[in-house]
Amino acid sequence: MLALAITNGLVIGMIYALTALGVSLVVGIMNVVNFAHGEFYILAGYFSYIFAHTMGFDPFAAMFIAVCAVFLFGVLVEYTIIRPTYGDELYSLILTFILSIVLQNAYLLIFGPYPNKPPNWVSGATNVFGLFYYGNQRLAALAAGVAVIVLFFAMLKMTWFGRMIRATSQDREMAELNGINTKRLNMLSFGLGCALAGAAGVILAPVFPVTPTAGVPLALTAFVCVVLGGMGSMRGCIVGGLILGLVENLGAAYVSTGYKHVFMFIILILVLLVRPSGLFGRSEA
Amino acid sequence: MKKCRMLICLMLATVGTVLLLGPALAADTIKVGVVGPRTGGAAATGKAFEEGIQLATEYVNAKGGVLGKKLEVVFEDTAGAPDKAASGFERLVTRDKVVMVLGESHSSAALAEIEVANRLKVPFVVVEAWADPITAKNYKYVFRAGPSNSGVVNESIAKWVAHEGFKKAYIVAENTDWGIGIADLCKAALDTIGVEYGFLMTERTSQDLYTELNKIKAFNPDVVLAFVYGTGLHYLVAQAGEVGLTPKAAVLDGAGPPSLWPDFWTNVGDYGDGATFVSSMHEKVELTELAAQFRESYVKAFGKSPTDYKSRSMFDAVLIAADAINRAGSTDADILVDALEKTELLVTRGTARFGTTKGGPEYHHWMPPMLIIQWQNKEQVVLYPPDAATGKLKR
Repeated sequence: MLALAITNGLVIGMIYALTALGVSLVVGIMNVVNFAHGEFYILAGYFSYIFAHTMGFDPFAAMFIAVCAVFLFGVLVEYTIIRPTYGDELYSLILTFILSIVLQNAYLLIFGPYPNKPPNWVSGATNVFGLFYYGNQRLAALAAGVAVIVLFFAMLKMTWFGRMIRATSQDREMAELNGINTKRLNMLSFGLGCALAGAAGVILAPVFPVTPTAGVPLALTAFVCVVLGGMGSMRGCIVGGLILGLVENLGAAYVSTGYKHVFMFIILILVLLVRPSGLFGRSEA
Repeated sequence: MKKCRMLICLMLATVGTVLLLGPALAADTIKVGVVGPRTGGAAATGKAFEEGIQLATEYVNAKGGVLGKKLEVVFEDTAGAPDKAASGFERLVTRDKVVMVLGESHSSAALAEIEVANRLKVPFVVVEAWADPITAKNYKYVFRAGPSNSGVVNESIAKWVAHEGFKKAYIVAENTDWGIGIADLCKAALDTIGVEYGFLMTERTSQDLYTELNKIKAFNPDVVLAFVYGTGLHYLVAQAGEVGLTPKAAVLDGAGPPSLWPDFWTNVGDYGDGATFVSSMHEKVELTELAAQFRESYVKAFGKSPTDYKSRSMFDAVLIAADAINRAGSTDADILVDALEKTELLVTRGTARFGTTKGGPEYHHWMPPMLIIQWQNKEQVVLYPPDAATGKLKR
């Protein structure tokens, strides 16, 4: 049971981390808490389902198109809804909350209440070291999730765009003085944050089929990850996600399965008591 | 100026006409309210209810309506949340002036609604909320024309477990009023028939059930009695296959509809074959002539066969309500309660007849017959009760 709890904890933790990265990016650069993050995740799942299942595209092509579509939708949302609210975080918070409700109801109207699942990439399960069986689709999702995270960090560290993101998240004014068009960067970063949610959505939809409201608990976990890791810290997101995944699974294995998500809040409270800015957060001067 | 005065006169005349004719127009119908989840995690039930309402109102109105007027149904969304359910119920009574309320599929929402029904003295016929306390509270205005936890467990599940000769069972229940209530009844029933069992509770919103399922697998049960509703059931069936719990152990969906949803096979793949579920409806077997008529009308109206049995449960409830109003000859709440108590109506699931003995959940309750069905090569095979069985359990 211990081996399974740890393996599953790492897999689920990686999923949480991937979902939370987009939230962290948007918080770090724009200081905007996107309450509709879960709905972008769901939208990508639906797109991937439509392109692959209904329109008969190759599943991987369907996933790629779905993520691009969500990126563009994110850019549009930033341009129309978020941009007018810069300078007042409360407005963007309320607006994204409203957007979340509108999108949930739109999904219900368009896609119906039943769960939708894009095709699996692989089928069956693998016997892990003779200890337990583990679904092949989950293992594939883990590999894809790790690849996306690695690519994202490489982009952040090794590209000019990544350098602009890091500079702006450290000091917006100084970045502007150095010629960075922060308005355009905001737009692209918001789109990228949504695309990260979308990437998580297309990777996970074959494992956890999407429904109109399935993004709500996922977004909540992503926010917990971000707060636990430290607002705006990408490294914190990964560590936070892994801790949550492990705590949940070990708690379910050895304490109770009925309160799995309670463990995550207990850990969050304990960490915030000791480090109010989160594990990797910058404390206020 | 003259034109302006004429326009104002015209507007006043229009408003006056609407105000005068409004009550008269409204009086042409008798309104019955429906509560249920049209949004939220169980919105599929709301869709099934809508289908049942549409077919039932057409049926009732084609036969002359109620008290010589058309029957009109007003549907209030509860989203499965007790606070929304209570306020939605109150709105139906105070704003829409409904004479009776039907519906609900979430026990926690229904438990909030029965308090409002009792306070406002409005007859309420619960359709698909199974928790025993709904009728066990013995409220005068509360009825149930559908399954209850104790009815399903004692009449179907426990008897089926004994019938199949299972030695070890595992109960897995979501942490809701329905899940906790039915799990407790299951434990008591398994104790009575001497079947060893294990139990664990899951969170209603849990997507990942690997740890839970491996715990169950370690117990090595013959059957898993799953009281998990909605998409959670799809996760459970698919993941039980992945971790190797099935097909050695049979999995019973203790609610039913999720195993019949259109995307069941897409979501669970081949792991769905061999899954069993509780249902009041079979794809081919019909209990009454009205059930066959319902199927025919359903296919005609929606271009597909009925799958979620809750559409038919709602159909029956509307017919029961219309029958009670017609027999009462009045919309007075107390006279309606009296008429409901004397109900003896053949509907799609048999003859509806409410219990009148106080003291337990049987009071004001009609328990329709339930079947235990297994998917075998994507065909529904009835396993229990024996007199309705069309095949044997396959593993």
